[in-house]
Amino acid sequence: MNVEDFFSSRLRMKILKILSEVGELNISGIARRLGVNYGTTNKHLKVLENEGIVQHKRFGRIRIYRLNQHSSKTKAIQNLLEGWEQQNK
Amino acid sequence: MSPYQSVFKDETKLDINYVPYRLPHRDRELQLLMEFFSFLLRTPEKMTQRVIITGDVGTGKTALSQRFGADITREANKRGINLRYIHINCREYRGSLFLILHHVVSVFHPNFPRRGYSAEELLGILMQILDEQKAHVVLTLDEFESLVEREGSEAVYKLTRLQEIRLNKPQRISLICILRSLKAIEQLDASARSTLQSNIIHLDRYSEQQLTAILNNRVSLAFKPLTVPEDTVSLTAELAFSENGNARFGIELLWRAGKYADAEDLDTVTPECVRKAASSIYAVMRKSDVASLRQHEKLFLLSIARFFKQHETAYVSLAEAEQAYAVVCEEFDVQPHSHTQLWKYLRTLSTLGVVKTEVSATGSRGRSTFVSLPRIPAYELEKELSNLLQKEKS
Repeated sequence: MNVEDFFSSRLRMKILKILSEVGELNISGIARRLGVNYGTTNKHLKVLENEGIVQHKRFGRIRIYRLNQHSSKTKAIQNLLEGWEQQNK
Repeated sequence: MSPYQSVFKDETKLDINYVPYRLPHRDRELQLLMEFFSFLLRTPEKMTQRVIITGDVGTGKTALSQRFGADITREANKRGINLRYIHINCREYRGSLFLILHHVVSVFHPNFPRRGYSAEELLGILMQILDEQKAHVVLTLDEFESLVEREGSEAVYKLTRLQEIRLNKPQRISLICILRSLKAIEQLDASARSTLQSNIIHLDRYSEQQLTAILNNRVSLAFKPLTVPEDTVSLTAELAFSENGNARFGIELLWRAGKYADAEDLDTVTPECVRKAASSIYAVMRKSDVASLRQHEKLFLLSIARFFKQHETAYVSLAEAEQAYAVVCEEFDVQPHSHTQLWKYLRTLSTLGVVKTEVSATGSRGRSTFVSLPRIPAYELEKELSNLLQKEKS
């Protein structure tokens, strides 16, 4: 996915912010915080996972998502988010 | 002493959650616990252990087990063993196996969802996590009676026979069950009971001399030198001994006496401060008990306390208490629970000894329940509950 396409989604950015704040969360938990439904959240998480930015762990029926700390893209995004937040403080 | 000075050096050492490095008069029991679990430091994957600790209120059951937990975890970590000590008060989780297990899982995954699976599935999830992290857990179930009462043999069986369905896999969870007496587990079926009862450590009530040693130990940790005379400690120990050898009561009394000394700008904590503290402390139910009540139990108790604060009567009828409860619910912005539910709360509060209930016949048209607060000052209770509920709200 192109970088401009990737960053064009407000929900994807919000998911990344949520996961960098809380560490890890299941899909319903993320959906609740976003204020959108399960399906939409799942769709965006799949995009993020395909890009290698997030990863999930399965516990029975439950999938818990977290940022993939081994990915350079994730590190770049985290730096961006941190820098952005600091500037806004 | 100036208004900015205090007799305390570190009053947190008198806090209910503080676990001292040394537990006077519990060395032998601590050693025994260490012996029971010594395999965790050598071959943690080969076996698990189950231990029961019994004893009256204030005999040091919780402190003993937490001291052990901290010691063994430190020792295991030194040897590169991933051991976690998890201490759970079952009453705080309403005796629910699901909620207890959820708490254990959230130690490893803090935002683990609360819905969408059963207690059995949660147990499986926990084992998966422990296997993945090559971790071992000593799970202490404090106030174990609460779990037995709610879940019965099934839950105990699930916890103790966990390994049997995991043949040839590393062992992961050891249990310490803390309860006041073995009576509570008599209701379990024979197989569940037999898995539990192999190792029992019973803690006797403390003698007056032992209480003196315990209090002296805390005095040296919590107070400035020479601020607590010998007489004060003796009187506190005597009062704690009369409360069934309850060390926790003595420690709380000491803290309160220190507060009185500070309030009166004294250099030392005099026996008079202890007497004042003793008259203000409500012995039957202490802070920890109030804190572990559920939200609506607290709200209902608050409404009863407020009623007595406003009325010069000894009894409140259940109907009047319900009206007061509705007002309290409105204040805290929650939906009041039903009459049947309140009746259950009343039974819990009565079992805990906070309230006393009496059923009286009113003519030929049924019976009424009357509630009294026999030994607790309504003012104290109201203050404590309001603080707790405000904290929970915020």
